[in-house]
This record gives sequence, structure tokens and C-alpha cells, in this order.
Amino acid sequence: MTDVHAPTSKVESKTEAADLEGEATRAFGTGPAELAESGSGGTTGPSGTGAGWGRWAWRQLTSMRTALILLFLLALGSVPGSILPQEGADPASVTQYFTSHPTLAPWLNRLGLFNVFAAPWFAAIYLLLFASLIGCVVPRTFKLVGSARTPPPRAPRNLARLPQSVSYPSALTPGAAVDAAASVLGGQRFRLRRPAAGDSGQWVAAEKGYLREVGNLLFHLSLLGVLVSIALGGLFGYKADQLVVQGPANGFSDTAAALNEFHPGRLVTESDLAPFSLTLDNFTASYVDSGQNIGQPAAFNANVTYHASPGSPAKNYDIQVNHPLSVDSVKVYLIGHGYAPVFTVTGPDGAAYNEATPFIPANSNTMLSDGVVKAPSASLGFIGVFLPTAYLTTDGTLESIFPAANNPMVSLIGYSGNLGMNSDVPQSVYQLDTSQMTKISGSPHLMAPGQTWKLPGKLGSITYVGTEQWVSLEITHDPGQIPALVCGMLALAGLLLSFFVRRRRVFVRAEPGPGGVGSIVTVGGLTRTDASGGFEDEFATLAADIADVSAVDSAADVSAADPNQPEPNNQSETGA
Amino acid sequence: MFKVKRRTVVTTGAGAFVLLVAALVVTVVTQGKGDAAGNMLTYPAGQRPAAPEFTATSLTGTPINFASYRGKIVVLNVWGSWCPPCRNESQTLKYLDEQYGPEGVAFLGDDVQDTPTNALSFLHGADITYPSVNDSNEAVLQRLSLAVPISATPTTLVIDKTGHIAGMILGAVTYPQVTTLIQDAGVTQ
Repeated sequence: MTDVHAPTSKVESKTEAADLEGEATRAFGTGPAELAESGSGGTTGPSGTGAGWGRWAWRQLTSMRTALILLFLLALGSVPGSILPQEGADPASVTQYFTSHPTLAPWLNRLGLFNVFAAPWFAAIYLLLFASLIGCVVPRTFKLVGSARTPPPRAPRNLARLPQSVSYPSALTPGAAVDAAASVLGGQRFRLRRPAAGDSGQWVAAEKGYLREVGNLLFHLSLLGVLVSIALGGLFGYKADQLVVQGPANGFSDTAAALNEFHPGRLVTESDLAPFSLTLDNFTASYVDSGQNIGQPAAFNANVTYHASPGSPAKNYDIQVNHPLSVDSVKVYLIGHGYAPVFTVTGPDGAAYNEATPFIPANSNTMLSDGVVKAPSASLGFIGVFLPTAYLTTDGTLESIFPAANNPMVSLIGYSGNLGMNSDVPQSVYQLDTSQMTKISGSPHLMAPGQTWKLPGKLGSITYVGTEQWVSLEITHDPGQIPALVCGMLALAGLLLSFFVRRRRVFVRAEPGPGGVGSIVTVGGLTRTDASGGFEDEFATLAADIADVSAVDSAADVSAADPNQPEPNNQSETGA
Repeated sequence: MFKVKRRTVVTTGAGAFVLLVAALVVTVVTQGKGDAAGNMLTYPAGQRPAAPEFTATSLTGTPINFASYRGKIVVLNVWGSWCPPCRNESQTLKYLDEQYGPEGVAFLGDDVQDTPTNALSFLHGADITYPSVNDSNEAVLQRLSLAVPISATPTTLVIDKTGHIAGMILGAVTYPQVTTLIQDAGVTQ
């Protein structure tokens, strides 16, 4: 084969060489035209026009440092959410905070610090970060698509100036030597580029490692996915709390009006609640009954019967701590428990009250609990203390010494009069308004199950029938949870890909050998980042493979022409 | 490595600061402004959600089949004896029952999260005679909530003769609200 490329003038040749070398080292993954843009978010100021300011602002917003600042602000903004009590999670503590800090609390409230994650300033950070990420990822997607279509740059004139290069003589003609090299590179799944019709010389340019950009893109898209997932959870998710007393008559249906606490997402309406219902068949709490940890809880089991929707078949489940019931896309967690002594109250006009009355634990170690009984029809009210294992100390104080109901007793203080329940003002079912009531004379009345207290003055009587238990359930629906997990894992995979895959380029150029016999083949290579090392070895192996192919070919068809064909010089030289 | 000009950092920081201050102002200004809408919802004829079918037991143990109310305007009151606003509005409902009962308007209570003893004791004292569903498990309330957004107790629904919900009052009722809804419910397609 004859070298047919047209001779060029010295000046042209020099210019071309400079261009080509510049192009060989052009940014990986970008075309020549994109070089000017690669400094996006850079230091150029805005032009005087409105559009100029707009472009400048957008570039600032979508720059990496703005994203980092916003990410930092997001983390900083979340801090008050974990230091101060939050309305969503613990409204009682917020009220408590207002009482104990009457001057500071209203100001903190104005700043939205008691509901940080729903505050507009938090949303502002969140949305800006969102915009910043979108502004970063969308152009990157187009760049990647462009770069996936862009062939490798043309081979530079002087390959010896590349970081890795090898040169050796071959018996093949330049064209055949480059063909052989191209087949080796093609076999290694490099993307190839050969001279176009107008290009001079015999060369092949090859590039590999596009997966790095794919990983990079996957990471950014997944990050965006995580944000979208969190937004999904905030918009369409909800959290609710419900206290359910043991027994078939005390079942619970998931409706907004029945819930004790309901914190819906922005786009959740009362009709969006999962229409399940459940009954607490049996609750057992086991405690350590001897040794150093006596009284410590060992296990909680809430056996429930539930219907996924009205009319669907009943199913059973044992809810335990961190072992929630999953029903109709919601999770039902067991978050608390307590006792509900059953009372009947009879007034002058007959039966006025019969209910298992939830008492709230005041001491979680002994389960000593407080509660009230309200029988407005009989004009009677009682403030009570429940003691699961009552014990009278030597100094005459009544205490509970164990959390299980081994010796249950209630101590009641009775009131008669107007309970204030015929008004438009809602009341807590755990508090008795005694402002219009008279205390029934005598000391607190201690009762064991089955005992009746006959009240003086024909007011009526109260019977402590027995004890039921109650559980506190947390109902959560977070449609963003699984997408967030998947996106998080994809982000990690993308990050690993972009860390471990290198973009690398290899060029092979063949010039006619001395006296027009055979050729001088030069192989050059470079990579962008090689922090973990390894490109030098990969290049050496590749160059050796290319040299081998040329050598075999030369032995086959050029040996006759030149039996004294020299061995290829396989020495690698590291360039500047 | 990033090479960041000091001017750019200052500008970006200032931009973020201005945005945050703006957001804070919005927070402070919008804080505490409630929804000014009333507590009554009406559905015009033709756009009324269908009231759910249900069978249940009354507080006194009588079976109640809601389908048998078809052909009557029904005032359905969700209540509980433990709920002060429910007790307070009961006299208004009793008066409306006495006024509209003879005209064929049916009144029905849905007693939620309650016990029959507590509820009947209250009804007896308040001299209320229309029946109430024993809905301690909120099963009927749940079916109603799937049709219309019931967010609190008490809530009162007015259902037209074709079994469609003409409107509802969230919270305690007033006499004019219920009469308006009863008149609305009289207009059907």
C-alpha cells in the first residue's frame, strides 16, 4: 500500500498539529464547541440587559457551590427541628414550651421553628436546591447524549508528547498497521474514529469509559429522585395516632373524625385515608420479674383483627414493637400502651356510665396512671389514679411497685355538679373541669375490682368492674419511602461507577518506514483521572497487543520483503 | 479543585441571604391567618355524592337498614355523648326533628366512640327520641367519610330523597344552617 496523503505546507502542518494536540486533550465528554461553556457558573459577570442578569442568576443558581451552600442550609435548617419540640410530632411539648418560655416561644413560632419542615423558609431552601439540581442535571443529560454521539477526537500529530506513548517499526504498510491496531482496539470495545476523506495521514483514535458519565448522570438523577420522593411523602403522606382499647366494642376505623391525632400531607384529604378498621383482641406486656432489671419490659404483643376495607374478610396480626401491621399501603406501629379500668356509674336516674376508661401512664416504670371518669348525665365526675400493683408503704403512701396488673387498685376523688359539657367548647377526655363542681367529702376512695363506692347524699354509686388494656397506634403512610430507598441505592451505584470507571483515549498513528518500507507505528494514550492508577499497565498491555498483531501480520506477509525486520520497541515513555 | 472568586462567593451568599429573609418575611406575615370559609358545605343537585348503604344496630338494639330511608330527606348527625359541642347542639336538632318530622324529614344519629349506656343516658336526659346508630367502632362513620370529607365530631349530613348528600355542617349546627340544607335537599334532579 502506498501512502497517498497530499503533502502540506510547513505552516499548515504546524497549525494542524497544534490544533490536533489541543483537541486530543479536550475535556472528556464534551465536544469542541462546548469548551467555552464548561465554565458554567463561572466568574463572568452579567451583561447589562435583563436577559443577561437572568442568565447570570440562573448560572449562579445551578452552579455546584450554590447547590452545596443550599445543601448545607438544608442541614442547618433541620437543626431547630430536632432541638425544639415540633407540632407535628409532639404538640403537647410545644404547649409546654409556650408555658415555660412565654416571651421567646411566640417569636420562635413566628419564625415557624415549631413546625420547621412545613415552614416557607424551609420550603424556599428545598425548592432552590431542587431548582439548582434540575438546572445542573438537565443540561448534563443533553451533554451526555451529545458526548455519547461524539466520536473520539482526531489523533494528534505528535503522539510522543502524550503521557503514555510507544513507538515501534512494523513491516506493514501504514494503512495495514493502523487497520490491525483498529481491530485490536475495536475488540477491546473502544469507540473508534478513522481519518475522514479530507484528513491527512493514517491514524485511528479510540475512546473508552463512557460509563463514567452514565454513573455521574445516574447519581445526579437519583439525587433528584430522592428529592421528588421526599416531596411525594410530604404531599401525599400522612401520620396519625390512635388509642384503641381492648375488646370488640372498642374497635377503630381509620377515619379523620375518629383519629386522636391526624397530620395529613398538603394534598391529603379526609377521603384519602386507607379505609381499614381493626379491633384489639388481646394485648400482653411481659416484664422482667426478677433480678436487677425487674419491671423492665420484655415484650409487647398486640393481637388485632383487621379488615383492609369495609366488607373485606377479617385477618389477624400480632403487632409488636418495630413489627408493624402493613395494610392498604399504610403501616400501623405499636407505640404505647396502658390500662383502661372499666367503671359503671349509676346516678339518681339510673345507669349513666359504663365504659373502659383509658388512664394515661404518669410513671412508665410502675405504670401508675392518671385518668378521669365523666358521667355528665348523673352530674358526677371522678379524678382517679390507677395502680397496677398497688402497695401500701409503711408510711401509709400508696404506690405501684410493678408495671403488670398483679394487684390492680384505683383511687378516686369524686365531684358532683356541672361538668361543663353542655357548651360549644370541646374538652379533653382526660381532664375534668371541676370549676362548677363540688368535691364529694372524704379522702380518696381506694377500690379493688368488683367493689362499689356508694356516694353520700343519694348522689349514686360507682363500681370498678375490672381492667382492660389499651394500645397507642401510629398510622403512617409515606408513598415516598420506597422510591427514596431505590433512588438512594441508584445514587450510590452511580457514584461508584463514576469513581471506578476512567475515561481514556488511545491513538495510533503510522508513518511510512525508512525508505518507504514498512511503517513506524506510534501508540499514544491519556486518561483524565487516574487516581487509583492502572492506566499505565492497561496502556502497556494494549500497546503490546497492537505490536503483536502487527508483528504476526508482518511475519505472515512482509517477511519476504524484509527478512531482517527488527523487534518492536515496546518501551513506554512517559511524556510531559 | 474549584477556583472561586471572592466576589462570586459574596454575591451567591448575599443572594441566598436575601431569599431567606424574603421567605422569613412571608412566614411571619402569613402566620396565624386562618381559613375564613364557613363550616357548611353544599353540593348542588346533580353533583351530590351518593350516601353509602349500611346496615347497623341502634343504641337500643333495633336493626337499622339505611336503604329503608330512601324517599325521605334524612338529617344524619354524627355525635358522641363525650363531646360537649354534640351535647350542646342536641336541643337544636330536637327542635328541628319536632318541626320537620311531621313533614317527612327523618332524623338519625350516628353515635361514635361511645357506649350505649353513656349515650342512652344522655338521650334520655335530653328527651331526644329519634334513633341513633350504635357506631362505637366508627364503621358507619368510615363509610360516610369515604363519600364526603368528615373531619370532626359533630358533623351533620343532609341527604336528599334519592340518597345523595345535599350538604353537611362540620361542627355544631345552627338552626338556619339545617333548614337551608333541608330546603336544598328538597330540590332534586
